[in-house]
Amino acid sequence: MAYKPQYYPGNTSVAKNRRKHMSGDVEKLRDISDEDLTAILGHRAPGADYPSTHPPLAEMGEPDCPVREVVEPTPGAAAGDRMRYVQFSDSMYNAPSVPYWRSYHAAINYKGVDPGTLSGRQVNEMRERDLEAFSKDVCSSEMTDWGLSGMRGCTVHGHSLRLQEDGTMFDMLDRRRLEGGVMVMDKDQVGVPIDRKVNLGKPMSESEAAKRTTFYRVDNVSFRSDKEVVEHVQKVWELRTKYGFVPKA
Amino acid sequence: MVRTATVTGKLKQIRIFPQRLLLPETAEKLLNEIDSVKGVVRMLISGKNLPRKISCGPGTGKDVNHPDRIIIHVSGCAFELHVIVGEVLVEVDDESVVEELRKACERALPFPFELKRGYFIKTKATLTDYGKYGFKSKYDETINLEDERILGMVDPHAKLETDLCLIKPEEMSLSRTAEEPIQ
Repeated sequence: MAYKPQYYPGNTSVAKNRRKHMSGDVEKLRDISDEDLTAILGHRAPGADYPSTHPPLAEMGEPDCPVREVVEPTPGAAAGDRMRYVQFSDSMYNAPSVPYWRSYHAAINYKGVDPGTLSGRQVNEMRERDLEAFSKDVCSSEMTDWGLSGMRGCTVHGHSLRLQEDGTMFDMLDRRRLEGGVMVMDKDQVGVPIDRKVNLGKPMSESEAAKRTTFYRVDNVSFRSDKEVVEHVQKVWELRTKYGFVPKA
Repeated sequence: MVRTATVTGKLKQIRIFPQRLLLPETAEKLLNEIDSVKGVVRMLISGKNLPRKISCGPGTGKDVNHPDRIIIHVSGCAFELHVIVGEVLVEVDDESVVEELRKACERALPFPFELKRGYFIKTKATLTDYGKYGFKSKYDETINLEDERILGMVDPHAKLETDLCLIKPEEMSLSRTAEEPIQ
């Protein structure tokens, strides 16, 4: 029988969503064109060549190394792309993804990615064309609700704030906003205006967000209501604590 | 002589904490409703900053042009919002005003809100205030302010002219004046 990873315990909707994010089996909800995505990432002009930091690996003449023979380089690494980043911020009011789960998703499902997890934001570093492919997957899937999440390279403030009156997460730099029922973004992730208005689709309704979220909340699905998760977390903490004392037995 | 604004009198302070961050139109409506309640002495609004320019990252120095940073009118006095309004602190004459204040909030806010009593605005001069305003004179070591209700209304480093709004300066007296500051 083939091995099937279990990823995360629990029977609640939040636990199931967490498993979905970790396995990469997420639903695609919207289309964002390559050009629009490149524009909001802000690392290069749409249509421009990829700047590189070294020649393509095929031209470099790599040293004889068994590991290099086994590990196939990602397209970005093979082409010698620059390392670039994308950073997301998610509202604690039932945004679909939690920083930790964005990191699990990136680390489990993508090669050559360096995910950084912080309390209210999550950053991923990788080669530029890998980054664009990764960002496209994340931005067009159920992992990102553009009303409750945001692509924010800096000034990420919003994760722990109350929502605005229109139900969207506060953005100090006004990169994306609700216009005519859809989220539009006319600045890149660091707040520099771009030459287009990128349509990011409709934000999720409150009930939809509550259904798709990976946040445990007392007013939605509480952490304590999932006994299997509590048991698992307690077991991990117990083992960590015991290991801290380095038991001889 | 009583020199502090609130601690010695029967003045009460109320904190209005809406469930959502307010759009400028709702904030304007709420502030006007509060201002229409008799017995309101001063109001302080606070929330998250709406910067004029980007202050960090590769876009530093570029204009933000946040649509919520607009001019609103409260009691005929126009001022620019520098924050997205998250809470309003109100000082009132006495307990009887609180119910009127609650009704005013219910009229203005389309969603739930919290109303708490307590002391939220600074009432005594601190070292920073003395550093900013100084003593009255060589022989009078009280703070050099004509009206001590200004204390706590703005950040010690902020400029009064841009962040403090006197709504009814012609009726200004120690007992009844409404002031509208922006932080």
